[in-house]
Order: sequence, then structure tokens, then C-alpha cells
Amino acid sequence: MIEVEGLSKRFGKTQAVAGLSFRVEPGTITGFLGPNGAGKSTTLRSVLGLVHPDAGSATVLGVPYRQLDRPLHRVGAVLEASEVHPGRSGRNHLRIQATAAGLPASRVGEVLALVELSAAAKRRVKGYSLGMRQRLGLATALLGDPEVLVLDEPANGLDPAGIRWLRDLLRSLAAEGRTILVSSHVLSEVAQTADRVVIIHRGSLIQQAPVAEVLAGAQGATRVRSPEAQRLRELLAAQGATVTEVGDGALALDLPPERVGEIAAANGLVLHELTVERATLEEVFLELTGGETTE
Amino acid sequence: MIALVRAELLKIRTTRGWWAYLVVIALLTGIRVAGEVGTADAFDRDTADFQLGLVDTVGVAVLLAIILGITIITTEFRHGTVTPTFLAAPHREQVIAAKAIAGVIVAIGFALLSLLVVFAVALPWFAIVGAEWNLDGAEVVTRVAEQVFSAVLWVLMGVAIGAIVQSQVAALVGTLIWIFVGETLLLGLFGLLDLDGARAYLPFQALDGADGTGGEELLAYWPAIGVSLGWIALIGSAGIERTRRRDIT
Repeated sequence: MIEVEGLSKRFGKTQAVAGLSFRVEPGTITGFLGPNGAGKSTTLRSVLGLVHPDAGSATVLGVPYRQLDRPLHRVGAVLEASEVHPGRSGRNHLRIQATAAGLPASRVGEVLALVELSAAAKRRVKGYSLGMRQRLGLATALLGDPEVLVLDEPANGLDPAGIRWLRDLLRSLAAEGRTILVSSHVLSEVAQTADRVVIIHRGSLIQQAPVAEVLAGAQGATRVRSPEAQRLRELLAAQGATVTEVGDGALALDLPPERVGEIAAANGLVLHELTVERATLEEVFLELTGGETTE
Repeated sequence: MIALVRAELLKIRTTRGWWAYLVVIALLTGIRVAGEVGTADAFDRDTADFQLGLVDTVGVAVLLAIILGITIITTEFRHGTVTPTFLAAPHREQVIAAKAIAGVIVAIGFALLSLLVVFAVALPWFAIVGAEWNLDGAEVVTRVAEQVFSAVLWVLMGVAIGAIVQSQVAALVGTLIWIFVGETLLLGLFGLLDLDGARAYLPFQALDGADGTGGEELLAYWPAIGVSLGWIALIGSAGIERTRRRDIT
């Protein structure tokens, strides 16, 4: 569906993308993650034929973007929210894209309603908030009712209600069988929406896998609470576990819960709690990218 | 291609600058015609030469035409709208061709608007002062056609410059500096080097010769058009090549 193969791009002294390869499967939402400057936008712009890679290839629906017949009918994209003439109304911006793509003028009203921007459609974009510009960008992407959507940081500038709205919209678009590649550095939103993630760092692939797998693969701590905490702690430490007290009388340690349960049973200890703390995507991400911040 | 041209025309019409162009053309033409008619004496006023000169006022449209041509392209880079434009039409040379065609259509409109203002000012004025029209219809049509075609050449030159420079301020300021300083210096230099014959081949000297009004030291009409088109083709193809290669980031 979207296939990136050995993609490399250098801007001056900066190697923006270095031999990146990944695939976006049809009908899935794929989160494209990486810290700012990881090469996400360059990659997406290469996929869309806007940036010429130094090496490698990027294809959409099996061909380079430039070879798509009527591209806006096949692929919709939101890159930066600011790529609209400030003096033009939102409606006119959409009319221009619809005209260029040979789409009927009626689509303009439809997509405006879909992104809930109809009321502001006749106002000049200069007066739009960042969130409204994001909505206008989404409307632009959806004009041609495309089967593939490429979205670069679409949640930027949205308020919490807007982020929730975006999440619901992306889910319903994906439920219609569309393929969505959405980049973000705000991980929680991707964790809740995406089926798969592609994580890149410094222009190279770190991991591509289903979200669940990434989370499961991450080493989460085991949390245990017992009225005989001190004795349990000694027993666990004797088994080679690193144990820390996490307050509330609970202990966190690096043994799997099965092992902890066995040790407790063998020694006749009562447990009040035995859980595995799931690592958040955030933690996974920081671990994978060597702890660099995402902001 | 027709869809792209229509989209380009819509882009021109949906910004405020559009009205500024029309107002400036109407004002420039009106003021100049009023000035000429007002300062001419009764004898001059009745001559066909003077009256043809009024028609030549349409030449003010060329300035707006080149600004339009440059702006059609550079405004897209300035506001980043080039991204949605190239997403809709990934073959970038088609976009430039569509812009050139849309620019030509609008530039013809500019020249005709200017012509309208010429007569809107001159006709009542002539009627009031009792001047007599001595224009030959065929001559007027020829002169208007030449002026309109001149506006077409200028807008194409603008598109070519916009395609190669791409930065709005640099393209507009650079072009003005080139016209008023660059070519003037070259004219002097050519004179010093005893290359007077080469002067008329400079881009804006050629364009100047291609407006039908003639002039000393300029090329004759048809050679001037040929040389102008040559410059437009040269700058334009370099511009298309630059635009095709450019990374849109």
C-alpha cells in the first residue's frame, strides 16, 4: 500500500533519512513515530513525490506518487497546517483543490461538514486557529474520498476535544477500509488509534510492529503487595530479583508474576495484589530511542 | 490541463490582490490619459498620431502583467500552497504551463480593461472640448492587438522569472533592479565595448521593441517578438527544470 525501500535523503550536512524501509499494510492505521527531527516529514514528503530521495524509493498503491492517475482521488495528505493562503477563505481553498482535481464543487460542502468547519468556511484563513487549520487540512485531504491518507502531525494545535474528535474520525475512516499513515510525536494519541507503529530515529527504522506487540515486548515491572512484605522481599531478593518499595506497602521487581506467585505459594505467604505494570508507549519509545526527549 | 488552468484562475480571483491589480490599472490608465488629453493643445488633439498615442496607454498593463506573472508562482512558495498544488498535480511542468495560460488570459483582460478606461476617459472629454476623432479603425485594431500581445509577452516573462527565482521579494525587486539598473548599466557597457548592436537584444529591450510603438535603438517589431520569445523560452525552461528538481519541504 505504502512501501518505503532503502530511502535516503540528505539536506546539506543533515542526513534526514538514512536507508529507511517499512511497509504500511492496507486497511490499517499505522502510527509513524519519532522525535522531532527524526525524518518523519521528509519521509512522508518523499512518499508524496514532493521530495526527491537521494537513494531508495517510496511508492503508494504500488507506484511512485507522480505516476498516480488523478492522485487526489487515491491519496489524501495533510502536511503542514500553514500551507494555505492566509487571505483566502477556507471554502475557496477547497474549491481550488477540487477544481484542480476535477472534483465536483459539491464535495467542498461535504468535507467542510465532515470536519465541522462549515460555519467558518467563508472566513479568511488568516483568522483561523491552528485547530481550525488542521481541520481544513483534513478536509483538503478528504476531498477526493481517497483510499490512502497520509497525515503529518494532524493533532498539532487541537484541544483535547479536538484530539478526541480526530481519533474518532480516523477510526471511522479506517473502518471504511482506508489505509492511514499518521505521524506523531504525541504518543498517547497514536497508542489509542493505531494498529501498527513504525518507529524511526535519526532517519533509520527502530521498529515496526503491531502496537500490542511493541507494548508486550517492553519489560514491565511486576507489582506485588503482601501483609508480610519484609519476608517476601527477602525471599525475592534471594532469587536474584531487584526489589524496590513503591509505597503503599507494595513492591516492584523484575521477576515475571508467575515466578513471584510460585515463590509466595512455596513459602505460604499471603498476597493481596500481584499485577504487571504495562509500560506505556511513551516509555517504550524512550527506551528504543535512547531516552531522547520527544519534544 | 483545463482543470489546472481553471484552478489557477480561481487562485488569482480568490485573493484581495486581484482587486488591487484592477484598481491600479484603471487608475494608471485614467490618470495618464487625462493628463495627455488635458495638456495637449487643440491642434494636436485632433491628429491621428496623438489619438493612437492614447491607445498606447494600454501599455501600462505590461507592468501589472509581469508582476502578475512573477506573483502567480512565487506566492505559492511564499505561503507554502505549492504543497497542495503539487499534490494535486505532481507533474510540475503542467502546473507552470497552467499558470502561464491563466496568466495570459488575465493579462489580456488587463490590457482590455486598460483600453476600456482609455475610451471611458477620452470619449467624454473629447465630446466636451469638441475634439474630433481621426482614428482609422483598422489602425486602432492593429495597435490594440500589438499592445495586448505585448502584455502577453510580459506576463510570460514574469512566469519564467517566477519559476526560476521562486522567492517573491527577490523576484519582484530583482526584476525591477534588472530593468532599471542592470540593463541600463549593460547598455552603457555595450556602448563602451563598441557593441551597440547587441543592446537591442537584451531581454527588456527586446520586450520594449515588441510593443508595436517602435523606437530608436530597438529591434523591429517581428524580430523583437522573436528575441523576446527566445528569452522567455530560455528563462522559462531553466525555471521549469529548477521547479522540477526542487524539494518541497
